[in-house]
Amino acid sequence: MNGYYRPGSVREAVAFLAGNPEAVVIAGGTDLVIDRRLGRADPQAPLVDVTGIDELRGVRWDGDELHLGATATVREIESDPAVIVRASALAEAARVLGSVQIRNMATLGGNLCTASPAAELAPPLMVHDAVAAIQGPNGERRQAVADFATGPRTTILGTGEILTNVRLRAPALSGSCYLRQTVRWAMDLAGVGVAAWVLTDRTGREAAVQEARVALGAVAPTAVLVPGLESLLAGAPPTTERLGAVSAAASAACEPISDTRGTAEHRRHVAGVLAARALSIAHARAAGLWPGGLAPVNGRAPAAASSGARA
Amino acid sequence: MRISITVNGDPVVRPVDPSDTLLSVLRGQLHLIGTKWGCLTGDCGACTVIVDGRSVVSCLQTVGQIDGAEITTIEGIAGRGRMMNDLQEAFVTHGAAQCGFCTPGMVVAAEQLLRDGVEPDGAAIREGLAGNLCRCTGYSKIIDAVLSVALARME
Repeated sequence: MNGYYRPGSVREAVAFLAGNPEAVVIAGGTDLVIDRRLGRADPQAPLVDVTGIDELRGVRWDGDELHLGATATVREIESDPAVIVRASALAEAARVLGSVQIRNMATLGGNLCTASPAAELAPPLMVHDAVAAIQGPNGERRQAVADFATGPRTTILGTGEILTNVRLRAPALSGSCYLRQTVRWAMDLAGVGVAAWVLTDRTGREAAVQEARVALGAVAPTAVLVPGLESLLAGAPPTTERLGAVSAAASAACEPISDTRGTAEHRRHVAGVLAARALSIAHARAAGLWPGGLAPVNGRAPAAASSGARA
Repeated sequence: MRISITVNGDPVVRPVDPSDTLLSVLRGQLHLIGTKWGCLTGDCGACTVIVDGRSVVSCLQTVGQIDGAEITTIEGIAGRGRMMNDLQEAFVTHGAAQCGFCTPGMVVAAEQLLRDGVEPDGAAIREGLAGNLCRCTGYSKIIDAVLSVALARME
């Protein structure tokens, strides 16, 4: 039988991991169980099951700060009414990850620590300037989620360290959006995933951009922030001309590969298109112009997909 | 380790390898073979069961994580002493099964979707069942069956 340890606290988990460097943390298991069975991960490595640790659980708000426990499930995140309104990009990314069954199991921490280049939750957390709390043998440290993944399936976590929570702020006059391109409209990995976040100076059509961020998933070894947007956008509403410049900047920030989900050229193009679209929706949300609800999946409402299939 | 769970209303205490999957314990130890051994990668949904009111793919659920949980499999969906519930009857009347391999997972996933109050709307049901594949591609009748129950249960 393999080693299996179910600690009751972060302190116990860290102590075990520090003493057993070969041990692997398991939360939802939706990647790890497959990887162990297929030999992509060592099936003999002892498991440290962190789902019994109360302090790692849950989604909660403290004023305008959102606190996401590392073992908060993707389903909990997409179902939180305040996440839908105040951190829309996160809800929009969460609801397209896998299936209901997968989202009931998969966790925020698992998505970030597995560090797939297509990790659905990384771009929205990055545009919200989220900060990860990491507990290790030498205490706690904090790192921007933007710096958490260092390459495909590698992170900044050192021996004995675990991700404990992720926090972000959703101030008034801010809005965000996540859009993605996939081959199928469900149960697919992103060919391109784009998150945008905007802070405006007022509500209404004339609302000028004060700060803006765009992050891209599945088009580079890790999710990446698009550089240089402040100078393109700050001080005015996102006009068509400015959005065109955002598209160009997003396409330029891609280092995509070609695979079954799209060629590098296609991905670079789609990243630009979705960046402008996501940014204008984020602006509409920040400025109070969005009618409410989440953006359509893959550019079309599931209802349209369904009525077509049922006809 | 020893786990103590409730399966379809019955208490079960078993020695298990905690890193083993719920699917292999259900089929191999408890001989509840309605839950299907499908893709083993969480993509097909044929192994769907309900754990503490949430549908999960049992092929990826390690048993060490669910000590004390209440589990419902296809064998327990109808409830004690009943052959079928309204959803299962709707699958029959709508002809929503062809080869039948996906049916247990479909019924279990749909039952939890209905308990969660899914909107009685084809699109919402399709989205909710996106994790259950039917290789016979008989989706329309499955959606019709679930939709009819969603509407009936609202009354």
